[in-house]
Amino acid sequence: MTGTTVSDRYSPGEGTESRLRRVTGVAGRPTMEHLGLLGVLAVVFVLLSLTAPNFLSAENLLDVARQISFTGLIAFGMTLVIIAGEIDISVGSAIAFGSALFGVLAVDRGWPLWLAAVAVCALGALIGVGAGLLRALLNVPSFIVTLALFSALSGLALLMTDSIPIPVTDAGFAALGNDSVLGVPIPALIMIVVFAAFWLLANRTTFGRSVYAIGGNAEAANLSGISVARVRAVLFGTTGLLAALSSLLQTSQLGSGNPTIGIGVEFAVITAVIVGGASLYGGRGSMVGTLLGVVLIGILNNGMVLLGVNSYSQNVANGAIVLLAVLVSVARPSTRRTRRRAVIAPAPGS
Amino acid sequence: MNAHALSRHSPDSAHPVPPDGARAAVAVHGLVKRYPGVQALDGVDLSLAAGEVRALLGKNGAGKSTLVKILSGAVRPDAGRIHIGGRQVELPSPAVAREQGIATVHQELSLVPELSVAENILLGRWRAAGTRGGLINPAALVRYASRFLDDLRLELDPRAKVGELSVAEQQMVEIARALSYGGKVLILDEPTSSLPAAEVDTLLVLVRRLAETGLAVIYVSHRMDEIPRVADSITVLRDGSHVATRPVGDVTTAEIVEMMTGRTASPSRGPKRKASERVVLSVSGLSSGDRVRDVSFDLRQGEILGIVGLLGSGRTELFRCLYGLSRRESGSVELDGQPLRPRTPRQAIDAGLGFAPEDRKKEGLALGMGVSVNVTLSSPRRISVAGLLSRRKEQRVAEATRSRLAIKTPALRTAVGTLSGGNQQKVVLGKCLNARARVLLLNEPTRGVDVEAKEHIYALLRDLADEGSGIVVVSSEIEELFLVCDRLLVLNSGRVVLDRETGETDLPAVMAAAMEGSAR
Ligand SMILES: Nc1ncnc2c1ncn2[C@@H]1O[C@H](COP(=O)(O)OP(=O)(O)OP(=O)(O)O)[C@@H](O)[C@H]1O
Ligand SMILES: [Mg+2]
Repeated sequence: MTGTTVSDRYSPGEGTESRLRRVTGVAGRPTMEHLGLLGVLAVVFVLLSLTAPNFLSAENLLDVARQISFTGLIAFGMTLVIIAGEIDISVGSAIAFGSALFGVLAVDRGWPLWLAAVAVCALGALIGVGAGLLRALLNVPSFIVTLALFSALSGLALLMTDSIPIPVTDAGFAALGNDSVLGVPIPALIMIVVFAAFWLLANRTTFGRSVYAIGGNAEAANLSGISVARVRAVLFGTTGLLAALSSLLQTSQLGSGNPTIGIGVEFAVITAVIVGGASLYGGRGSMVGTLLGVVLIGILNNGMVLLGVNSYSQNVANGAIVLLAVLVSVARPSTRRTRRRAVIAPAPGS
Repeated sequence: MNAHALSRHSPDSAHPVPPDGARAAVAVHGLVKRYPGVQALDGVDLSLAAGEVRALLGKNGAGKSTLVKILSGAVRPDAGRIHIGGRQVELPSPAVAREQGIATVHQELSLVPELSVAENILLGRWRAAGTRGGLINPAALVRYASRFLDDLRLELDPRAKVGELSVAEQQMVEIARALSYGGKVLILDEPTSSLPAAEVDTLLVLVRRLAETGLAVIYVSHRMDEIPRVADSITVLRDGSHVATRPVGDVTTAEIVEMMTGRTASPSRGPKRKASERVVLSVSGLSSGDRVRDVSFDLRQGEILGIVGLLGSGRTELFRCLYGLSRRESGSVELDGQPLRPRTPRQAIDAGLGFAPEDRKKEGLALGMGVSVNVTLSSPRRISVAGLLSRRKEQRVAEATRSRLAIKTPALRTAVGTLSGGNQQKVVLGKCLNARARVLLLNEPTRGVDVEAKEHIYALLRDLADEGSGIVVVSSEIEELFLVCDRLLVLNSGRVVLDRETGETDLPAVMAAAMEGSAR
């Protein structure tokens, strides 16, 4: 039999074709989408400046910068994961696990802080790589693998600490999460460095290219000689590493190894990535978009706090933002297209 | 202008062509469709009568599929009118087009393999078979479907699972489903491009029979040999414009090719070349499952080896086995004297093997990504320095690929999914060539490629061979293997049953060897 086994011949369907609507953001230049997002960001910023008391103060804005760094960091790794057509919902638990582990190692075991920090990062990355390998080699959907991790890691964090935060009292370490350099909070600086590194990774390396290709068509990528399993393992390794890094910063800021932090972070991260224009079908997304998404969500939440909106309503608003972002990305091209969904429309910016 | 040409020919045509659009089963006037950077259709007129089979011909990107998509309601034209049965209609969606009597079978089948023939025919229209309140009555479905299949005189078991049918049978189910909406016009876009040679006849016979029942058929194909057998008349498009419409008896293949390309066809058989004695790929006793059994052959440097075999003869499996995609049970392979046993495509590529898979959409391309990304997918090292991409190098490689293969695309960043079928195929080939393989395994390299581009690809293969590559080509179009190959290997049930220089054998002998003792 030739390779045309029966099932080979069925069309990949509308899903694939509608994904052709635009050339992927591989080019790394500002696209219409980024400009649109920037516009929204500007409008929100101006509105909040006018209405929310204290919003425009340097103190508040720097605080926002610090707060968004903790999730923002991870969002860049998550962007690559999502571009590859995967998902990692374990990052919130990974933060709790990292923080708890750091407390145990640094305080209970009395390891030097730097060693504990390195161990937390290494273990975080390793666990991620393990999850990626499970995904790649056994072909288990990444949602399932990371769902298992989500549950297991938060359980481990609570077990290790008997669910009691472990105070970490070291002025040098506390500076990491709380201090500023040249007026910019250290976490924000770290986030900027991570952004730059991931921008480079996504746009200027063969690895990044492979990630886009796998998200675009994993089968074709594999036949083209791209080591799909290796790329997947590395991707989950990066989100694991970034979650560990974020856990260290938060531990430093809180002054304790805390097994209950990080709850819901996975959704905050994924929200930012989606708002930034990445497609959960894979093949599409960009670091600049994600950065804009992170900032937009950050200032919106800050603005709502300042305006005295209660936290339940904030959750509703966040949900609305996700839906809105998805609606915009689905609806926008159709204004220039015929009604039919299967139609391949012109690629903006080409 | 079209109408004049038509009426001039109608008296001597076996199936009279209507003098004007009013009596036509379907007619389009001045259809225009622009895509960014491409004029896909530029004022096309077309009209055909009930009972007429019209072959729609043209090079890759000429606009055939665009015309088909407009008629099937999948794409809306920028300008132009459509008449069905003399009435002007709007076709804003496929559903409306179906209601208006246009039945379209696209190149990719859209059947559900796990469901039965009857279920597939009635998919989403359970009510037609008397289903009420969401409860499906299987017996009623089968009754309805078999009545319908009988009307079309199709001998298919409505209870059979579609996934277990042959490709041609699946296509019949697809046609039956399209017609079950009560179509008066049937459109087939490259229906035979993925059919094994032995099943093509069945389809052509069915099309003729359907036309005799009064159906108007638009038939898109790049296979010149089937045109006189199935069509009454031809319409040639070039660069989105209508070139000519003629009764099929009035034109020769050479004239058609000239109309399509705008120049006279060149003789296609290349000069006899002399392959060197050096063996680049040596396969001995290779076995894998029951698809590849004890296959041995040598490929010499500069040689083009064609592999002939029916669907299921093990052609693709042999490639997959060589490329490291499926397990090798026994036997050995040497490439340039080195043992070759790749476990991943990367290892195969590094060893000097290139592979172009046959299903470009599924296995060959990242459809949403640009041409330049796709053509460099297998050769990251050529476009990077220490893992960092070099835009300049990438641009250079992509530009060179585009001009070498004459890929028609508005820009190198254009998503490949928007290119016409043949141009997508060239992108797959380009990717394969850019990896600089010493031995190329090409599975159906000219599928969906127009005559001129085929010539182009043949010439390219000869060039590559002259430069010292060894090339193995699998093709369902056996005639083309005679044009391009130095030697032919016939596979039958996984075994090599014939291995001859092309000059020492002929088509009947090869066909006989391929079909001998085959089950169907
Ligand atoms: N959705 C689209 N977006 C942009 N360009 C398109 C789109 N669809 C088709 N085109 C362009 O329109 C032109 C005509 O394409 P079409 O698919 O009609 O060609 P074709 O005659 O069917 O060719 P082939 O024989 O290769 O299938 C091509 O240049 C193609 O690149
Ligand atoms: Mg076409």
